Amino acid sequence: MFEGPVQRLIDELGRLPGIGQKTAQRLAFHLVTVDDADARRLGQAVLDMRDQVGFCSRCFNVAAAEECAICRDPRRDTSIVCVVERPQDIVVVERTQEFRGRYHVLGGALSPIHGVGPGQLHIDELKQRIPDEGITEIIAATNPTVEGDTTAMYLAREFKPAGVKVTRLASGLPVGGDLDYADELTLGRALVGRSEL
Amino acid sequence: MAIRNDQGIVLRGYPFGDSHRIVVLLSPNNGKLRTVAKGVRKTKSRFGGRLEPFTHVDVVLYEGRNLDTITQVSTIDNYRHLRADLDATLAAATMVEVVDAVAQEAEPSQRLFLLLKRGLETLDGGTTGPDVVTSFLLKLATTVGIAPALDRCAACGRSNHLERFSLSGGGAVCEWCRTEGGGMRLQPGLLDHLGHLASTDLASITGGTNDLSGPAMGVTRRFVEYHLDRRLLSLDQ
Ligand SMILES: [Zn+2]
Ligand SMILES: [Zn+2]
Repeated sequence: MFEGPVQRLIDELGRLPGIGQKTAQRLAFHLVTVDDADARRLGQAVLDMRDQVGFCSRCFNVAAAEECAICRDPRRDTSIVCVVERPQDIVVVERTQEFRGRYHVLGGALSPIHGVGPGQLHIDELKQRIPDEGITEIIAATNPTVEGDTTAMYLAREFKPAGVKVTRLASGLPVGGDLDYADELTLGRALVGRSEL
Repeated sequence: MAIRNDQGIVLRGYPFGDSHRIVVLLSPNNGKLRTVAKGVRKTKSRFGGRLEPFTHVDVVLYEGRNLDTITQVSTIDNYRHLRADLDATLAAATMVEVVDAVAQEAEPSQRLFLLLKRGLETLDGGTTGPDVVTSFLLKLATTVGIAPALDRCAACGRSNHLERFSLSGGGAVCEWCRTEGGGMRLQPGLLDHLGHLASTDLASITGGTNDLSGPAMGVTRRFVEYHLDRRLLSLDQ
């Protein structure tokens, strides 16, 4: 359709999540017209990221070293670990500034229908960390979906017999939302998990 | 384009674009519905948890060229007890997986729908275990016309000396009808147990496991997978 190199860029951009054919074309032609230095900086950033960033050997967060910045931070409480599905979920929890423990990225959630079982997630690695780091509490911060809930229940079944406290993020009402928009499941869970004022 | 009402049980969903989700439902009136729920993955979505698998919902659909868009949802039943139990959730996953495999689009599916509803109600009521899933699979096999012969030879119809089970032959086979080396040998009592699971109402199945639960599930799974020509992934877990 377009000159070889341009079409190749469109194809590559179009493979990114959330980018359709049209957006890919717009981005590609933008890169054709911008300053040479701007386009090269983008290319170099992608290359540097691939060269320098991998996964933390302890928690599977993205890391620019053997271990991620959080695992290397000596002020972190090593007895409590927040278990998330994906590395980007760590950023979300960190932004709350309410958590001072470490993390563990599972790499997804249990999805029996799609053939994702415990063996496809970093659950054995988490098991290793319990005695090594003296972990006493696991917070299951998986998504509030059937798959995330299934994963949380599985973690409870696996780790509670070993004397580890397994907790789940409370389901509640979105701040700033209307009560009558809440679905029954969310509202029901918010009622069960209500707190005293 | 038209707006219409329907109801269904959510079978599965998968991400679509940044915040949308494709939601596959089984409607008693229209079979498998592939719909899109816009913005449902945002925490402030007004759909909330109503479009998660296993939820029975009323929907208002805006008909599109390829996919219908869900514009309103209300919950008929969310089976919350089921969702709070790991074994029940895993059993429900198998039920929706196999229903998704046999359901057809744009085809009334009253019996299949009622079977799924009954299955989820059973799990929600606190009865779980492999026998419930096996019973569900056998009833589904009947619903879609692939029920295995369990009380007579699938080939000659005799009702004694049934010691083998043939996937391709359609169920139990007698010593004389089994093809050379064909069929699995059935352990004593297994055929009766399978017959019991096939004919007993789901609500009356005993939960938990017994010595025959595992073998019954094994035979049934292989039979259903063979005739649907599809592996049931949720049973690997
Ligand atoms: Zn780390
Ligand atoms: Zn025979």
